[in-house]
Amino acid sequence: MDFNPCMKHQAVRKAVRKFAETELGPIAHDIDRDARFPWEVIEKMRPLNYFGLQISQEYGGAALDSTSYAITVEELSRVCAAVGLCITVHNSVGAYPIEQFGTPEQKERLLPRLASGEWIGAFCLTEANAGSDAGAVETTAVYDDGDYIVNGTKVFVTNGGACDVALTFAITSPDDRRKGASVLIVEKSMPGFAVGELEDLSGMRANPVSSLFFEDVRVPEANLLGRLGDGLKIGLITLDTGRIGIAAQALGIAQSAFEAAVKYSKERQQFKKPISSFQTIQNYLADMATEIEAARLLLYRACALKDAGQPFSAAAAMAKLYCSTTASRVTNLAVQIHGGYGYSKEYDVERFFRDAKATEIYEGTSEIQRMVISRAVLAQLV
Amino acid sequence: MNRSIWVFADYRNYFQNRVTLQLLAKANQLAAQIGAEVCAVVLGYKIDEYVAEYIAHGAQKVVVVEHRSLQKYSMEKYAVLMERLARDYQPEIILIGATAFGRELAPRVAKRLGTGLTADCIGLEMTEDGLLRQIAPSFGGNLVAEILTPEHRPQMATVRAGIFQEIPHNNSLHGEVVRIPLPKDLPKDRLRLIAYQRQPQRDQRLEDARVVVCGGRGMGSKKKFKKLFELAQLLAGEVGATRPVVYAGWIDNDALVGQAGRNIRPQILFSFGISGAIQHTAAVTDAEFIIAVNKNPNATMMKMADVAVVADANQLCSALIKELKDRIQT
Amino acid sequence: MLKLVVCIKQVPMVSELPWDPNTRTLKRNLAEGMMNPACGHALEAALQIKKQHGGHIVAITMGPPMAEEVLYEAIAMGADRGVLLTDRSMAGGDTSATSYTLARAIKKECPDFDLVLCGCYTSDSETAQVGPQLAEELDVPGAAYIEHIAVKDGAFRLHRVTDNFLEVLEMDMPGLVTVTTHTYMPRYPSLEGLQSAFARSDIKILNARDLRLDPAKIGVNGSPTKIINVYSPTAAKKNIVMQGTAKKVVDEIFAKFADRISGAIGKDLKTHYHDNKACTK
Repeated sequence: MDFNPCMKHQAVRKAVRKFAETELGPIAHDIDRDARFPWEVIEKMRPLNYFGLQISQEYGGAALDSTSYAITVEELSRVCAAVGLCITVHNSVGAYPIEQFGTPEQKERLLPRLASGEWIGAFCLTEANAGSDAGAVETTAVYDDGDYIVNGTKVFVTNGGACDVALTFAITSPDDRRKGASVLIVEKSMPGFAVGELEDLSGMRANPVSSLFFEDVRVPEANLLGRLGDGLKIGLITLDTGRIGIAAQALGIAQSAFEAAVKYSKERQQFKKPISSFQTIQNYLADMATEIEAARLLLYRACALKDAGQPFSAAAAMAKLYCSTTASRVTNLAVQIHGGYGYSKEYDVERFFRDAKATEIYEGTSEIQRMVISRAVLAQLV
Repeated sequence: MNRSIWVFADYRNYFQNRVTLQLLAKANQLAAQIGAEVCAVVLGYKIDEYVAEYIAHGAQKVVVVEHRSLQKYSMEKYAVLMERLARDYQPEIILIGATAFGRELAPRVAKRLGTGLTADCIGLEMTEDGLLRQIAPSFGGNLVAEILTPEHRPQMATVRAGIFQEIPHNNSLHGEVVRIPLPKDLPKDRLRLIAYQRQPQRDQRLEDARVVVCGGRGMGSKKKFKKLFELAQLLAGEVGATRPVVYAGWIDNDALVGQAGRNIRPQILFSFGISGAIQHTAAVTDAEFIIAVNKNPNATMMKMADVAVVADANQLCSALIKELKDRIQT
Repeated sequence: MLKLVVCIKQVPMVSELPWDPNTRTLKRNLAEGMMNPACGHALEAALQIKKQHGGHIVAITMGPPMAEEVLYEAIAMGADRGVLLTDRSMAGGDTSATSYTLARAIKKECPDFDLVLCGCYTSDSETAQVGPQLAEELDVPGAAYIEHIAVKDGAFRLHRVTDNFLEVLEMDMPGLVTVTTHTYMPRYPSLEGLQSAFARSDIKILNARDLRLDPAKIGVNGSPTKIINVYSPTAAKKNIVMQGTAKKVVDEIFAKFADRISGAIGKDLKTHYHDNKACTK
């Protein structure tokens, strides 16, 4: 077992870090304050394959392995979690399902646009009354003469305000709880599709998270992803992949908060000594470092399993659960180490603290992850 | 043959650039310790005024190669000429000013002579064994290295401007002038000057300023860095910057204080968010009084300051601006 | 079709390495390596020349085995192949030894080059000497601090601004330039480029024997200059340390040094203009 990162992974990390620190570093604080999606940086990310991280090279993607993918999201999120979120959602739940379940025609038409970032993708499942319980979704898609007519409202859609294509989870057979849902590829240009107001969130403020309205949107049958009734299956498989991305995002936030805490503790003087010389602070830093390292190993293991073609659902859930919990704990301690300054918007740890919390909630709450993990554990032969 | 210390005459931007005179002064100190003579080497055309100037500033001998084809600085001709002269006269030491031209010429001459070269020295001394101790910034700038060229001759170094004090102009000094004809067999120039234009003389406001406000990466961002201009204006001073800040595009290259930039000597230097790489600190050692602001009390710049303020550079800058506005009658 | 060689150095990512005063060495192991910034500009210049005139770019680096990473980065950015020169006996060389080693490699790997491009200096040593010395070793014309390169009538047309002169130079082929950091902003490597660079792995690794290097001309032993002492120049000055809120510190500065500051700026600062009591003093 080799625990040393290979040269390729290091090179990917450095390349993304340099891009993130140069292009996002100077604006991360301001775009969070102003809740502004940085289109000027998105523009620069397009030709660098950030929107086609794992898409095949024949469609213009980078065809990265999952660990490189996780490292990319981690490094973007280390500087700006909201843009990291845009990238991971676009790739893992926007583009990935199309490559995985799409028809040749859908792939030909959509993947080059998604890989180049000409189109930004989103995945919408959550509704006012349905989140963890996908069966409670109320958005409907009714077949009518070669089209599906979609009606409903989705909320908290990451990339919602920027997306050109939204994979929409809708009920096609209201009576069939297991096979009653399907995923439709809804395009921004389709009449009846509208973007609602941006959500006023605590963190991830630079991502245009919004609600999406569907009012008699006619979606051609050719835009059905997978087969009719595959919604739940696609959703579950997609979310497994999505969790790797969110785990990576949480890890990046934790790493950033940790680095800030180490730096500050060496600079901040109290009682005529840097506070890093006090044992309590040292203990905090030791715990933070250990948890981050453990989180990282869990995440990369899930990536390795996925690339080896082995079941990785439970591993991804563990990584997501542990990375997000770690992000919350580490950012909390980072604020604590910063004292009053950490509670001030002047310092970045305050943003990390707000951003970290989201990772425990979306792409399956920590409670749902525990459910996934416990099911896998209980299913094992004893 | 007399032992000699050579100084390459870089006269292209004389008066502004006085590094040649500064090197003549240093060469005089070094020469006294090893019993050598100080010799300026002047290549060019119609250069008598410089020859006289160098003698008045301490050159005991001036080797002159004068020819119309040398009218413009020519890297290839100069490198070959310096090599041949050095082979003929065998100087112990050759010092070259660290101008852009000097820093390109020196390595070529050193290579042709098969000897060593130390770049951009900030100090020169003779060891007890009579070797030239070349003191230069090293390893990214937070360290200083002492370097010798023990076995190869001549010992060569480039030296940045503003490190040494020149000897005041003295008309009563005498020097021998040795004129060497241009060799006939110089190789054809493979690099030719097609056109040139003298840039407007760089203004000396930073060098002459009584108050300088210098900023580093610790200012946080380009936008926050701009506050320094307001502060400088209130203090009737100038704004300088470190290499990372210039590289990040927060301010023009012209404001670079340090290696390849300017040396400053203000009465008061305000230093904001600068950790203190040697390339920068060596250029501010002549500041009379330094107030440094940095979150890190252990930064080099804080250690060399007269007043070390442990604070966020950006916040302190704002507070200073406010206080000055209150105190200055408008 | 031009044959271009770009020399690239891997340097520590942080500009200032921690210095261990006990062992008197740099804590180099703490620093990750990266492509020297100016070398990135040189590579970008080569890429733009290649795009305009067609060409083949060989990236060469010398360093420990880990330095191979900058070659993958160069290939990801658009270089055609890489050459890594690595050997314990090459370590610790000064600019003379380094330029000799690079020249041997270029003569072996790309003897019919048209242009060698180097960064104008490295961020870790800033000598700016390797480029000019490499030109001597290769016996080609060279020009440092170049800001623009054009190819015209079988020669290079170069622009630079140095020592207050804007110069336009014509240089015969083959030649060498060192490129400044003012122009040719290096592109970011694309992720597809990195993925393909590692998949293709077009890098040749050469040691001192492969290059038939003269042991007397390489590494520490082959360097005319010897480092005899390295130290941290921090002058421990007896200084005043202030801390606290910005307001408190500023008050303290003016309480102690208002005279000094007013002297330097030629304005009266003793009185608080908006404070009536102080004005009537």
